Amino acid sequence: MNSEVRVHGRDFTAYRIGGAIAAVLLAILLGWQIWEIFDGDNRTVPEVRWGVAALDGEATAGDQSGLLAHEVLRARTRLQDERYRSGPAPASDAPDFATGAAQWLTNAPMERGAGRDLTRGWARPGSDTLELLRGSERVAGISSLPYVGAEVFERPFGRDWRLGIADFATHLGALAILGFSLLLALVLALRGRVPIAKGRSGRTVKRFGFLERANHWMTALSFIGLALTGLVIAYGDTVIRPFSEPLLGDLGWLATWGHVLFFPPFALGILFMILRWTWGNLPGRYDARWLARGGGFFSDSPDNPPARKFNAGQKLIFWSAALGGVIMVVSGVTLMFPFYWLDIEGMSWAMLTHAVIAVLLIAIFIGHIYIGTVGMQGAIEAMWGGRVDRNWAEEHHELWLAEIEGRTPTQERSG
Amino acid sequence: MARLKFLCDSDRCIECNACATVCKNEHEVPWGMVRRRVVTLNDGEADEKSIAISCMHCTDAPCVAVCPVSTLYQTDLGIVLHDKDTCIGCGYCYYACPFGAPQFPRATLFGSRGTMDKCTYCAGGPEENGSEVEFEKYGRNRIAEGKLPLCAEVCSTRALLAGDGETIGEIYRERVVKRGYGSGAWGWSTAYYPEERP
Repeated sequence: MNSEVRVHGRDFTAYRIGGAIAAVLLAILLGWQIWEIFDGDNRTVPEVRWGVAALDGEATAGDQSGLLAHEVLRARTRLQDERYRSGPAPASDAPDFATGAAQWLTNAPMERGAGRDLTRGWARPGSDTLELLRGSERVAGISSLPYVGAEVFERPFGRDWRLGIADFATHLGALAILGFSLLLALVLALRGRVPIAKGRSGRTVKRFGFLERANHWMTALSFIGLALTGLVIAYGDTVIRPFSEPLLGDLGWLATWGHVLFFPPFALGILFMILRWTWGNLPGRYDARWLARGGGFFSDSPDNPPARKFNAGQKLIFWSAALGGVIMVVSGVTLMFPFYWLDIEGMSWAMLTHAVIAVLLIAIFIGHIYIGTVGMQGAIEAMWGGRVDRNWAEEHHELWLAEIEGRTPTQERSG
Repeated sequence: MARLKFLCDSDRCIECNACATVCKNEHEVPWGMVRRRVVTLNDGEADEKSIAISCMHCTDAPCVAVCPVSTLYQTDLGIVLHDKDTCIGCGYCYYACPFGAPQFPRATLFGSRGTMDKCTYCAGGPEENGSEVEFEKYGRNRIAEGKLPLCAEVCSTRALLAGDGETIGEIYRERVVKRGYGSGAWGWSTAYYPEERP
């Protein structure tokens, strides 16, 4: 075999500059995400304060108006006291009515950061309150109402679920997506593209048929649609809300419906992929060697580890799509029909699974998109036109090329 | 500063469902949704207890944390409110809620189940306090009138207490001392003191 290298990965200067720029941007985003984990804003805080209309209209300080609002309600609370303590009873006077006719409580946005101390204070019980507290455990009885879950009084798991979805899944997803993207951008900047080392031969061989390609793109586009709409739901509060709250509402609504609309083509595509490609993606004897040499990814030598139609990397992508896709479809359909076969706890787990697998799949398929487009010279042609350059085939899938050309491989390598 | 809470004295609740009924009536809550319900524990046993439950207006509220479109928000009295104009009906708040408070008009498809509704502590929503449009979306705003939730104020046995947490805690403690027993503030550790492990 001629191992003369004519095209080097580092020669793709424009790609490498693009990769470097992307790496800088992604590093900034990743830094922001890491800061988000530790900035201590994972407690929810009050955003709106109450005041009294009669005072707010005048030049009095907002604080005073707020204190009065709280005082009004505290006085009203006293009306529920036991009669032997508060009267009307022989021993004590009748309580005052809490509000005058002129008082009307108002709402105003709170100053940023003011709510944080409130939440912290609220979470700390006094010793009197501590005596009243019972354990935090699931409590269910019966209810005369015919609704799902009406019989459950308390399920502390809701708080754990919140940690799972609002902290674990979102942070894990952002780290995985941004971190992996940064890694790929760095690879592109430093290593360049994986070249067709011997240059284009000018002759092509057929790799994927029309139906396979059409199905691939249907699945790919619906996956991207599902991913983008899902990301709006998962990260809109962080990324879109600071710019415009109404925009987040509109996009959220679009995302909800879009997410449902992109589901049927995705499910159909995954099903066809499983039927069409499972056989070729069963683990084979070349896979371990291919993986051990990293697929020859970091060398410009055309002497890559041998592979049949699908190498071990492609097999991993296939199984991510197949298994991940099935998990997403099953959990997604479950979420679309609440309580059809799962109760509230089961639904909670379906939602958590859906979220965690989703962000991991997005990260994995960013890798797939990378290697299929900018990451490797000539790779896109396989799925686009269906025909690949013969030299590309020889460098990456020499056993497959030999099969379709009807000959035994030139050299059966050992070790 | 006051911190509004609910406290249901399970030794006094007689499962009359007045709180649930009066809530539905006062706020004209649509069919298929309840903002307050009564749960009976150990029904028919010697230790049977009934207890009224709705949104507890939690500290560090999980629903506010998980809402993807910032529909849910909290006020400085502790009241958790919602904005029906931004809600997308995803149901996250329902999974996160320790008390099953969020309600949806229909139990159907993601996106078609309608916008969430829940107890507002009789405090309306983001619309102008006391306005007609606020009433249509969220029900009566009694807090703006300086009044407390109707479910508690209507309770015939004073089992359900609402208002400033310290004050209702004190009322309850005095009551327990006087009658000699009490099974504590149900749901308070989960709702108000998530970081405490009693």
